[in-house]
Amino acid sequence: MKKLLLALIATIVLFSSCEENGEENPETFGTFQLEFDNVVGSQNMSLSDPGSGDYMYTTDSGEPFNLTLFGYYISKIKLEGPNGELYEDEVNVSANADEVKGYYHVLESNASSRFITLDDVPAGSYNKVTFTVGVEEDGVQEGAAGGVLDPAEGAWFWNWNAGYIGFAMEGGAQNSGQEEVVGDGWTIHEHSFSFHVGGWKDVEPAEGEDQKFVNNVKTVTLDFDSNVSVAENLSPNAHIIVDALKILDGVGVDFSTTYSVHAPKLGQPFAEFIPDTFILDHIHQ
Amino acid sequence: MTTKKQYAHLHILWMCIFFNFSCSVDKEASPDQAYVFVKPDNFPEPTYTFQNNPVTKDGFELGKKLFFDPTLSRDGSVSCNNCHIQGTAFADSQQHPLSVGVNDQRGIRNAPSLVNLAFMEEFFWDGGVTHLDFVPINAIESDFEMDETLANVVKKLNADPVYLELFNSAFGIDKITSPYLLHALSQFTVMMVSSNSKYDKHMRGEGETLTSEELEGMEIFSSKCGSCHSGELFSDFSFRNNGINDVFSDIGRAGISEFDGDVGKFRVPSLRNVALTSPYMHNAKFNTLEEVLDHYENGVIDSPSLDEELKNGSQLGIPLSEQEKEKVIAFLKTLTDREFISDTRFMNR
Repeated sequence: MKKLLLALIATIVLFSSCEENGEENPETFGTFQLEFDNVVGSQNMSLSDPGSGDYMYTTDSGEPFNLTLFGYYISKIKLEGPNGELYEDEVNVSANADEVKGYYHVLESNASSRFITLDDVPAGSYNKVTFTVGVEEDGVQEGAAGGVLDPAEGAWFWNWNAGYIGFAMEGGAQNSGQEEVVGDGWTIHEHSFSFHVGGWKDVEPAEGEDQKFVNNVKTVTLDFDSNVSVAENLSPNAHIIVDALKILDGVGVDFSTTYSVHAPKLGQPFAEFIPDTFILDHIHQ
Repeated sequence: MTTKKQYAHLHILWMCIFFNFSCSVDKEASPDQAYVFVKPDNFPEPTYTFQNNPVTKDGFELGKKLFFDPTLSRDGSVSCNNCHIQGTAFADSQQHPLSVGVNDQRGIRNAPSLVNLAFMEEFFWDGGVTHLDFVPINAIESDFEMDETLANVVKKLNADPVYLELFNSAFGIDKITSPYLLHALSQFTVMMVSSNSKYDKHMRGEGETLTSEELEGMEIFSSKCGSCHSGELFSDFSFRNNGINDVFSDIGRAGISEFDGDVGKFRVPSLRNVALTSPYMHNAKFNTLEEVLDHYENGVIDSPSLDEELKNGSQLGIPLSEQEKEKVIAFLKTLTDREFISDTRFMNR
């Protein structure tokens, strides 16, 4: 019986692959671009110098602040369409930087990093994009990696609790309780804040036990308001707004007590609002 | 026909036995075999991602050079070998109960033995690192160990023509980047397989037999210590509070799990080569195996996270008579692997 079933499956697989190969029109491809536009509420984001006492933004609760660093990892991008169209960006971890695929480190300080261009997207209609903010277990557990995952070249990596920081913002706030700390070649400025959101371990708690570890890697799905077409001569662009205020107001951050977040559990309240932070503004067909 | 076939099988069998025998006796005889990772028959499956970083002679030798090179530290004073010495199965020397870093800074924990890392899923006393490749970053960047940055190590290596050539031979690269540095170190450390103790040879039937005292010790060990120090690596690699303290300046596993119930828990260490790796415990509390067993017998201190295994009787700890302790220690000494600590592949020469 099992053998029969196997033979049947094999026939179906063979048959369907033959059919694809035999198609009259070979599959064509186009590109699709994601543009990440970082903002603070209704204002454009612009970064200040560390230590600056010039606070250009205000939280919902009236706390003045500025930003000196803002960014995140985007990975595992997927496009889906109304007729079952599916494109999954290739993901690969390697020591060889050229072979690292599908991980993007988007930094406000690096304009080109805000544009992710997906090549080889099969021609078709798409109405939804899904991506991961952060680096999941399978990205960490392959071991040392190059390119945007190389800690010696600016990758955001926690040594002590090995894994990547998925989302981070740093800046200054008038009410921040941070005191000045001067180390050997580094300074933590007075009134600064630093929110690093990391942690990828997904451990089911044993029965009767509290949750241990925190997985702060989040998946974001954005629906398009209409179908967009990808074709050889059609390269749509999704303009995605990333609003820092959604996190700060979502958490209801009080800088006087919350100014240093460097562990998964402390980052958890911030991570909860990551999906709300990414908003599809519009699509250019 | 059938007879011929049977003979052919026999020939192959003999060849296998011959090759195996010659390999294990003299690694120098077939140099390539010396750089092939081999899982000992009585060991679990390795956890290391060999598919991403296969061991080669050039990669291993480069990793060895890096392991012994103090250029990995800020001021060129500390190498990996400072705290991980072959004679103590790549644990620290007894003169360094806690690790000693640049400017003679004292660390907070006893540097553990590096043997059999290829089979482990978590590293360090608190298990904070989950892949062997990432282990050296902690030591390089810790301000009381090497006090250097990974980026600066890479920069120093790229300025050294010898290293540029060695990285090129090992990995075919013209510019050194950190993943290749970490891969080279892993190729060296992943080969540190210690599996030729008297115990192993007894278990595998390779001509060594444990004495009756050692066998009795093994029996007592397995019934009284084996629930934590289980399996062929003599650890279940869980995190437990073994009652050495009730105040924890170093919270251990709780620093990683962020779970209050884990305060004071540390990784159950493998006991392979344990007779060589004194002092014992994360904070180097005990100098001898006798002290360790005395602790388990009558020194266990109660605290909220104390391990359940130590709360069995009316008294905390593990009931052990003096004779039982002696036998257990006799058994533990059979876990010493003299071939490993004298294996010339790991020597800096």
